[in-house]
Amino acid sequence: MAPRTITPFGPQHPVLPEPIQLKLTLEDERVVDVLPAIGYGHRGIEKACELNEYPKNIYLCERICGICSAIHGMTYCDVVEKLWPLEIPPRAKYLRTIWAEMARTHSHLLWLGLLADAFGFESMFMQYWRIREKVLDLLEITAGHRVTQSVSIVGGVRRDIDADQKKHCIEVLKEVRKETEALNNVLVNDYTVKARTVGKGVLSYDQAIALGNCGPHLRASGVKEDCRTQGYWAYGDLSFEPIVATGGDAFSRAAVRAGELYQAIDLQIEAFSKMPEGELAVKPKGNPPANEATSRVEQPRGEVFYYAKGNGTRNLERLRVRTPTYANIPSLLVMLPGCELADVAIIVLSIDPCISCTER
Amino acid sequence: MIDKLKEISKDQLLAEVKKYADAKVKFVTGSCNDLGDKLEVTYFFNVSPGMDMSALRFVVGKNEEVPSMTGIYLTTVLIENEMKELFGLKVKDLAIDFGGHMMLAQDSPVLPMLKSEEQKAAAQKGGN
Repeated sequence: MAPRTITPFGPQHPVLPEPIQLKLTLEDERVVDVLPAIGYGHRGIEKACELNEYPKNIYLCERICGICSAIHGMTYCDVVEKLWPLEIPPRAKYLRTIWAEMARTHSHLLWLGLLADAFGFESMFMQYWRIREKVLDLLEITAGHRVTQSVSIVGGVRRDIDADQKKHCIEVLKEVRKETEALNNVLVNDYTVKARTVGKGVLSYDQAIALGNCGPHLRASGVKEDCRTQGYWAYGDLSFEPIVATGGDAFSRAAVRAGELYQAIDLQIEAFSKMPEGELAVKPKGNPPANEATSRVEQPRGEVFYYAKGNGTRNLERLRVRTPTYANIPSLLVMLPGCELADVAIIVLSIDPCISCTER
Repeated sequence: MIDKLKEISKDQLLAEVKKYADAKVKFVTGSCNDLGDKLEVTYFFNVSPGMDMSALRFVVGKNEEVPSMTGIYLTTVLIENEMKELFGLKVKDLAIDFGGHMMLAQDSPVLPMLKSEEQKAAAQKGGN
């Protein structure tokens, strides 16, 4: 047996946008054990949500994550609306869907760029991020902000998308689709990309379920599961079918996200074409009742789970948020042992980790 | 209201969870809530593939020990450490025990998710 060494990977590492530490036990260059350590970004947001009056928690939840900000706000509103329950207007459902898919589009472009960066394909990284800028511009035009799109309120949405904005969005989204197709063709066919991703970090169908995985990470192992199949907001009116791959490796995860990128664009265009006229919100009556509810929404990284318990006051008794990365981190305990040290970065990145989300 | 919520005792926990694992049901997450002298623990599961969710709930005294599910579902390691650290839930036989410092630093508040007296009084009056 080769001598063992323990090597810290992170919390600061070029491939990690956020801090997580992996204590890797190595035999030569091979990983034999791993212990993930978080705790660098815990902000006590769930506690703060108990201390704030419920409408103010929207802003707090939108700051759980910088990438899925809008979807956190929407999911928080969704779970609180279920406490009454409160039916939001149809136009608000479509607007939430459009902004959620816009968030998915820029998030997947961000991740595909990071993946290219991780294996040293710098020009591909820059091209993905150049395209992403166009989507961020759409968010700024429609929601008023590139990063924190505070569009949801309890009862609906606070902003509308007018006819001119809608026309502009559809034109830009078609451009984004065309430009992304050219890049994705390189991603899925390039020899170097395959050499760095195929067969790396393999997780079988059964392992993905046993480890409680979610999102593209789960679907890349062949599990056809996506919260959008519940038909929440406008998804029930749209043509939606989960995208699945069967390889269970880093390459399959990239392929699922590449496919979901096109799908997100198509869903936005379809939602724009079907969006009805009407009110943007209904006003809640009184305080959230003494009741409890859950909400499960598909973020770019997978299922975000909100649990809320009301007590009849302006404050919630309890708010629990389980983000996708929280569910996907344990899979590293299975995927990393046995791999080469050089592949650790790609495998970690393949779950699209978001640590600020995880720690809240 | 939570659909398919089953109330159990902590002694039934592992047997109930084993049934889920044997049926290849996916663990979703858990939630803990401070009820005063007791803690309410809820675990959520999903029949995969699909979106059919069910839940197990038990209430324990703050000084009672609770068995870890990590021997059945390794993925529960994060939530069990979190509940131990933030609520003081006494989870025994954790597969990986972060020793109270998975989320919190050495100088962090102790058991920060427990409700303060001010918070309980405010809730009774109708809000903070």
